[in-house]
Amino acid sequence: MGTQVKDVIIKPDAPSLLILDKHADYIAAYGSKKDDYEYTLSEFLRMSGIYWGLTVMDLMDQLPRMNRDEIIDFIKACQHECGGMSASIGHDPHLLYTLSAVQILCLYDSVDAIDVDKVVEYVKGLQQEDGSFAGDKWGEIDTRFSFCAVATLSLLGKMDKMNVDKAVEFVLSCMNFDGGFGCRPGSESHAGQIYCCTGFLSLTGQLHQVNADLLGWWLCERQLSSGGLNGRPEKLPDVCYSWWVLASLKIIGRIDWIDKAKLRRFILACQDEETGGFADRPGDMVDPFHTLFGIAGLSLLGDEQIKPVNPVLCMPEDVLQRAGVQPDILS
Amino acid sequence: MAELEEEVDVLVQRVVKDINNAFKRNPNIDEIGVIPCPEARYNRSPIVLVENKLGVESWCVKFLLPYVHNKLLLYRQRKHWLDREALVDITCTLLLLNPDFTTAWNVRKELVQCGVLHPEKDLYLGMLALTKFPKSPETWIHRRWVLQQMLHQFFAVGESSKQQQQQQQQQQNGEAAQADGERSHQLSDHLARTLHQEMKVCSDAACRYPSNYNAWSHRIWVLQHMAKGNVKVFHDELSSMRLWVSMHVSDHSGFHYRQFLLNELITVLSHAAAPAVTAVTSSSPFCSGPVPGTVVPHSLSHAHANGELSGADTAAEDERQHSCTTVLQLFHQEMELCSDLIQSFPGHETLWSHRRHVFYLWHQWRREQQPHGSSNGGSRPIHRNDSDPGRPEVGDGSRAGRTESVNGQNHTGEPMEVDGVSSSDPHDSKRLKRGAPLPSATLPSEHGFVGGVLRGCCDPEQRRFALAYKKWLDTVIAQQPSSSSSDREDGGQGGGGDGGADLQPAAAAASSPLMVADSERKGSCADEVLHC
Repeated sequence: MGTQVKDVIIKPDAPSLLILDKHADYIAAYGSKKDDYEYTLSEFLRMSGIYWGLTVMDLMDQLPRMNRDEIIDFIKACQHECGGMSASIGHDPHLLYTLSAVQILCLYDSVDAIDVDKVVEYVKGLQQEDGSFAGDKWGEIDTRFSFCAVATLSLLGKMDKMNVDKAVEFVLSCMNFDGGFGCRPGSESHAGQIYCCTGFLSLTGQLHQVNADLLGWWLCERQLSSGGLNGRPEKLPDVCYSWWVLASLKIIGRIDWIDKAKLRRFILACQDEETGGFADRPGDMVDPFHTLFGIAGLSLLGDEQIKPVNPVLCMPEDVLQRAGVQPDILS
Repeated sequence: MAELEEEVDVLVQRVVKDINNAFKRNPNIDEIGVIPCPEARYNRSPIVLVENKLGVESWCVKFLLPYVHNKLLLYRQRKHWLDREALVDITCTLLLLNPDFTTAWNVRKELVQCGVLHPEKDLYLGMLALTKFPKSPETWIHRRWVLQQMLHQFFAVGESSKQQQQQQQQQQNGEAAQADGERSHQLSDHLARTLHQEMKVCSDAACRYPSNYNAWSHRIWVLQHMAKGNVKVFHDELSSMRLWVSMHVSDHSGFHYRQFLLNELITVLSHAAAPAVTAVTSSSPFCSGPVPGTVVPHSLSHAHANGELSGADTAAEDERQHSCTTVLQLFHQEMELCSDLIQSFPGHETLWSHRRHVFYLWHQWRREQQPHGSSNGGSRPIHRNDSDPGRPEVGDGSRAGRTESVNGQNHTGEPMEVDGVSSSDPHDSKRLKRGAPLPSATLPSEHGFVGGVLRGCCDPEQRRFALAYKKWLDTVIAQQPSSSSSDREDGGQGGGGDGGADLQPAAAAASSPLMVADSERKGSCADEVLHC
């Protein structure tokens, strides 16, 4: 009885060269074709969508092709009375989109376009007694939001405004026996949550609290024969998980523990040679989300055609240098 | 153009109405879906209700979604007024088509808050959305908010009825007090029903999408908030999950849930078994809330309530004994289940990962059974016959309870005393009479298990996982710092140390030459994983 293999097979004719021009064209054209249905379906995450698109353009050194003024006006219109930012106009504010908005403004070196003090107040107001962060005023708790909060505040240079000790305490309470992290205490380890938690501990200067060897082991076990990485045992490999796992390994100084050449081959195979862009897996439909994480992954793997990316904030290193943010990395 | 828009308007308004009428006509709709149908069929509504299934023909979705979406956003920007009923209808259609539209759920939260919408209606809408979108994070988030609201209400009503009850008792108005007791009882019944329904929603979503992180972490949240410390609920969950995981051997999240249940049960049972228990407070409405109808076994709540128990309290002794036996049985059964599944379904990473977790929990628990220092003199670890030969007899008390920081599950917050389970205890003989001691897993027995698998199996995946598990035993379990670092130097052969995965600061770990060696080992482990 054969067991079902949970992996993909990379065909010999799969793309193996990086086609940067096509990717830039794909992203540049993405915003212009607004199908009513598609557009409404994803509007609830528009701000993050813009961050993905702009960041990947900047990593490819193509940011000037995007409409800066229009984007900054849009962001301004998304700031609410409470200081938080929404995904789009008319939507409700949330930490997820507050971080995306601040990241975009950093790419454009224009943080002052919005009321920064109010953003800080908003983020601060979402911290709970136990140190955790709610995503918005309705109170959902998740370690992702802890990351959003510290990432936002560190980009704004206002980390002192929150209770860092308590925040760290909460994130550490979500650490599991395998060295990984889940969304809340007792939750399963998950590569996306691990990225958020290691990123959080990096920004708060607490990486020494991670058991890097144990966590590194778990992360390495995400690599499959195809070279791609999955986010949990027995899940399919995916370009976005490849980023989260790879970035986490980089943060804890264990990136050499995986087979980088194989991962590079997997990521390259996820390109669409006709349309440009990356998909989650070879042969699937491309989207800006996987395009960013494909390019960012290749950057972490050392591709010199792409600007160096910061593993903690998933932004170009030169942007962070300009903003004066240098997150810790274990060596 | 304008004419077309008008036509779309009329059409869409009719469809929204049809959807809401369908719900009125059949309050038992239990599933939604889109019917592939590229073109409209003349003069027929695109809403199809067959038995309890509600279908929307695909051709109309591309008109319907933008319409309701824009309507709601205009309302949110105060550019267009919608009355409450229209808001309920529009958000319903919208969320069935696009359940991750956070703002639409928020509008419904406001409607719940002002009493227009019954919370249970929203749980129902979410349940339907999950039949089509079983992962939808926003739907799960909204559910937690609704459940929180319901819990607050239960507490509020429970609190006020308790106060009234006290007043009435003072007035010696027995009848009214009884009526109030009745009301409280109904409330706790209601809460138990809600809990049960929630478990069902989670199960359905877990069946619809494998390793559904959102469904399983929601299920954990529900137990943490609605059944904390409730041994019966946890036991029931554990036994009802047994068949499920056996039929879903690749579902890592399902197995993680079992690990969570096991961990919680052991925590509660260990507290119950500890001779000097300080009253355990709990946020659960079942345990400490004003709502009566607690399901915590009487003896357990008794143990909690009394705080300190005298040594002569034989009932409590029995209880302690019983708790320890239960823990042993739980571990034994879980390891057996795991072995069976690994052998019946070779090559599943999930099963091997489950084995790591269960063995880790077992290893931790046993460590905590060890007496602190020598004050306990004659007391020995449970089943000393099975105890790991390579393990020192005296545990390292200073490290007991360390796992509290290892994960947030607080499962080892209080190291457990061992008097109640030591073989010198008079009650131990009673336990032993109940049956032969259960064989328990040890490092050598685990190595034996791996050896058996390797000998009897040629499935390359199975061999790979077995070898990785062996390596994990050698590095994570056996190589933990025990009394001195010299123990670790020659480790890796199995049966060496007494530690669990100890999360010592990584900075210290990295500077240790030993850990460099460890890294190399793990590097090679990963290589093996990749290349074999």
